[in-house]
Amino acid sequence: MTKLLGVKINPLTAKKLRRFKHIKRGYYSFIAIVGLLLVSLGAELLVNSRALVVSYEGELHFPTYGDVIPGTRFGQDYAYETDYRELKRVFAEADEGNWVLMPIIPYDPYENNEFEGVFKPAPPSWQSRHFLGTDTTGRDIAARLFYGFRIAIFFALAFLVATYAIGIAIGCLMGYFGGVFDLIGQRLIEIWSNMPFLYVVIIVFSVTPSFMPNSARIMILLAIMVLFSWMGMTYYMRTGAYKEKARDYVAAAEALGASAFRIIFKHILPNSLATLVTFMPFTIVGAITSVTALDYLGFGLPPPTPSLGELLKQGTDNLTTAPWIVSSSFFALVLILTLVAFVGEAIREAFDPKKFTIYR
Amino acid sequence: MKKRLLHPMLLGGLFALFATACSKKEEGPVALDPETEARIAAFRAEVQNYYETKVALPPAVFEDLESGKVTQEEIDARTAAGEFPKLFTFATLDDLPDDLVWANGSELPEIGSPKATKGGTAYGAIQDFPRTLRTVGPDANGSFRRYLLDDVVMLLAHPHPDTNEIGPEGEKYFPGLAKEWAIDKENSTVYVRLEPEARFSDGEPITADDYLFCFFFFQSSYLKAPWYKNFYNRFYENVTKYDDYTISVKVSVNKPDLTKYVFESVRPIPEHFYGELGDDFPERYQWRFAPTTSPYILKEEDIKKGDSLTFTRLEDWWAKDRRNFRYRFNYDRIHIRVVRDIAKSFEMFKKGELDAASLTLSEYWYEKLPDDDPLVEGGYIKKATFYNQRPRPPYGLWINTSKPLLDDLNIRLGIQYATNWDLVIEKYFRGDYERLDHTAVGYGVFSNPEVKARPYSIEKAAEHFAKAGYAERGPDGILVNDKGQRLSFSVSTGYQSFKDALTIIKEEAEKAGIEFRLRIMDGTAGFKLAVEKQHDIHFMAWGYSPEMYPRYWETFHSVNAYNPDGSVKVQTNNLNVFRNSDMDRMIEQYRASNDVDEMIALAHRMEQLLHDEAIFVPGFVIPFYRIGYWRWREYPENFDVMKSESSGQWAMGWINVEARMETLKARDRGQTFEKSIKYYDQHKSK
Repeated sequence: MTKLLGVKINPLTAKKLRRFKHIKRGYYSFIAIVGLLLVSLGAELLVNSRALVVSYEGELHFPTYGDVIPGTRFGQDYAYETDYRELKRVFAEADEGNWVLMPIIPYDPYENNEFEGVFKPAPPSWQSRHFLGTDTTGRDIAARLFYGFRIAIFFALAFLVATYAIGIAIGCLMGYFGGVFDLIGQRLIEIWSNMPFLYVVIIVFSVTPSFMPNSARIMILLAIMVLFSWMGMTYYMRTGAYKEKARDYVAAAEALGASAFRIIFKHILPNSLATLVTFMPFTIVGAITSVTALDYLGFGLPPPTPSLGELLKQGTDNLTTAPWIVSSSFFALVLILTLVAFVGEAIREAFDPKKFTIYR
Repeated sequence: MKKRLLHPMLLGGLFALFATACSKKEEGPVALDPETEARIAAFRAEVQNYYETKVALPPAVFEDLESGKVTQEEIDARTAAGEFPKLFTFATLDDLPDDLVWANGSELPEIGSPKATKGGTAYGAIQDFPRTLRTVGPDANGSFRRYLLDDVVMLLAHPHPDTNEIGPEGEKYFPGLAKEWAIDKENSTVYVRLEPEARFSDGEPITADDYLFCFFFFQSSYLKAPWYKNFYNRFYENVTKYDDYTISVKVSVNKPDLTKYVFESVRPIPEHFYGELGDDFPERYQWRFAPTTSPYILKEEDIKKGDSLTFTRLEDWWAKDRRNFRYRFNYDRIHIRVVRDIAKSFEMFKKGELDAASLTLSEYWYEKLPDDDPLVEGGYIKKATFYNQRPRPPYGLWINTSKPLLDDLNIRLGIQYATNWDLVIEKYFRGDYERLDHTAVGYGVFSNPEVKARPYSIEKAAEHFAKAGYAERGPDGILVNDKGQRLSFSVSTGYQSFKDALTIIKEEAEKAGIEFRLRIMDGTAGFKLAVEKQHDIHFMAWGYSPEMYPRYWETFHSVNAYNPDGSVKVQTNNLNVFRNSDMDRMIEQYRASNDVDEMIALAHRMEQLLHDEAIFVPGFVIPFYRIGYWRWREYPENFDVMKSESSGQWAMGWINVEARMETLKARDRGQTFEKSIKYYDQHKSK
């Protein structure tokens, strides 16, 4: 047994992982995407209108993760949240030894910034630190993309876990038990697959009570998407389970008195997992694409949640007047999807049973 | 942006309806099949019988019937007993009162420019192919109806669009199908002498019978148009035919805008065209262009389903040399293409395939066709802003006072001060729009000039929130009370196009310590949420069409707020669920009043009361329309009439036919013309 990060793994898997590492394009894409994911966890430190550090009258303040600090705390004359960019300017002017350290992109994804006195799209500019420009109401595009990416990728991961959990469990059960259970299960899935997803989203959102916070609405969207997407996985797991069920080791486990649950999850599942792994990246791509598409249509994440789809929509509406909106969101989307797709391609190749199967 | 025409009782006002339309032109007498012939004969008998037997129910009885207090059977029995007066009277000229004072609006200035020339084809676009050519019944109330009805047909008389003046007899009218009229205010009766030369577009003369048929038509159930059925049954007490060209109409309510019920709603319906009227009306007449009083007809070969429609001007229109009409309706043909995407139709406009495009939205005026665009610099496309005067849609936040906390005046006052519309107007609408002050702006003397919207003020908001128990800010900067509850409300809307404005409102409100949770919904769902009174705070506007005075009963009377059992009444326009006994009293007095001065005073007091109650946060007013148009389009010196909503509404423009080729060629050669960006602010409120 080889060990990876202290976890024992089967030599076969280790071999596959080695093979994956050798597929450079996929491997580096993997590192890039994991890197991005980790960085996005700390997005507040990189892209934020709150300062990283404020030194005021000899005392250090770290506003990033804490409660709102009213302007009065820093000697300003307003009780709402401190405007740190303004504070920086004020401190610099007063020159009393107070200072403010802002993140690289000193904007949050919700605030509207003026450009030439009005809220309108501003082209990219190093000077104003709007590296990708601003959108139609003057919100920083880089900030919206970054936070939008974080939401989308975690949304996609949650979607992946949920659909796979349901799809695998039901697929394995159908494959293992077969017979009437399988027959009925399949028919139900066929019926369920014919429900029009988009209409359900529209209907559900139109009856969602207004007191729900946005986070609850995001969860509802996730739940609906999962509800309509778990079926695909069942087909693969069902065939996988059927195939494995006929093998001797399953018969052996049965003879030893193992429960159905143990056989499915301990014996059959690990042996059919290879198929699954290759689907994962594509499921993520699919989830990001659908949530982007839903946002584009206006049925996705509730505004003003930053989102790729919403930016893309703004971009196409202002193709000639603010081309930086569509170009940034387009490239960001292409980049993410390409990275994930490369990873998927490499995994598929690494896990391809034609090269590595032991049952030849 | 989309406005909804939802005003409830609809009023006459809105309905500038007038029938219209158009039919296939008869190509000589067509032999009808016996079945249709029998049907027409039966129909004629039905109409005749109707004229003889139809009764007018007094308003009180009508309301009882509507609310279910009496049944239709009882009414039928009472009718048979002769309790109610007949709707139609057939009299002779000798029966006309002698003391009538006849008027014809000739003292009013003429509209239109004598410089206008006829000719050319105007190119326009619509987003969807119309679902029907009917102007009444299912699907008829679409955006295409203005081409068939609202903007083109001739009425008995038209309210003069250049004046807000109210005389002893109401608004000022100029004649259309009427030659002259006399008003008997005391009896709510209007006498009309019809223009004997008036013809439908198929050449049939328009006579008194066509006006009588109007009542049969709209009161019938065949149309599947409940609003019309209700309206024509409720508001008319008597229709008298004196001869083929003289009628009188008695209206069953006594209001200062009596003439509106007659001039704008009683219109000739071509009986000869609707001979096959029956329960299958919606399908049978779906694609038939009815004979119209408009100068434009739609020929069958000009209807390309799904693609385009082309109207043709009647060369020998009977009114072509009449005052107020001779300089309007100038295009020979109006070609309307279906272009589903707005961005695409704008590009077509810039290529010269469409003549004009709306630039009312700031992003179009400033970014998509900026003043330094080569097409504008070169003088090929002209830009114009026209300030109009008409009832303004009240864009703003409607606060649901039946919700917890929102029933507290201090919370509502705090919300007024925490809502920064001024910033939205200045920074997002670029200072072009104006702050709305109350719900009834644009009604001339009926609008209270003293009531002003409250400005954004964090201090004042804090003061009022503190009075309501919200004095401390929580960890996220939102105010909390001593029980730890956050000051947070949902703000919903069905207007996707204003979502950016609302996100600014939300960000600004947070500075004042109140959280607005935005819910941007699809149009229908948003409206449903509001009329079901499910909202906390809802952003929308009612669409008002020009009317003499604002309405309050639908939106602010307590009968539209609560049911008798105390539960919230849904499906009404009282979005504030507002109940106030002073308000109720004033509304009732206002509704019953026939005296303009009294109504003005009441309207002012009601606006003040609504302001004091702070239930509506006034948003903004768009005080103009703006368009860009190719230089071959020409407009009068003043551009348009005061009450005009869009540049086509009163058909004042014309085409310089030679200029079209000249301009397009010049553009290709790079030769330029004089740049033209104009502001017509003669009607701008000072």
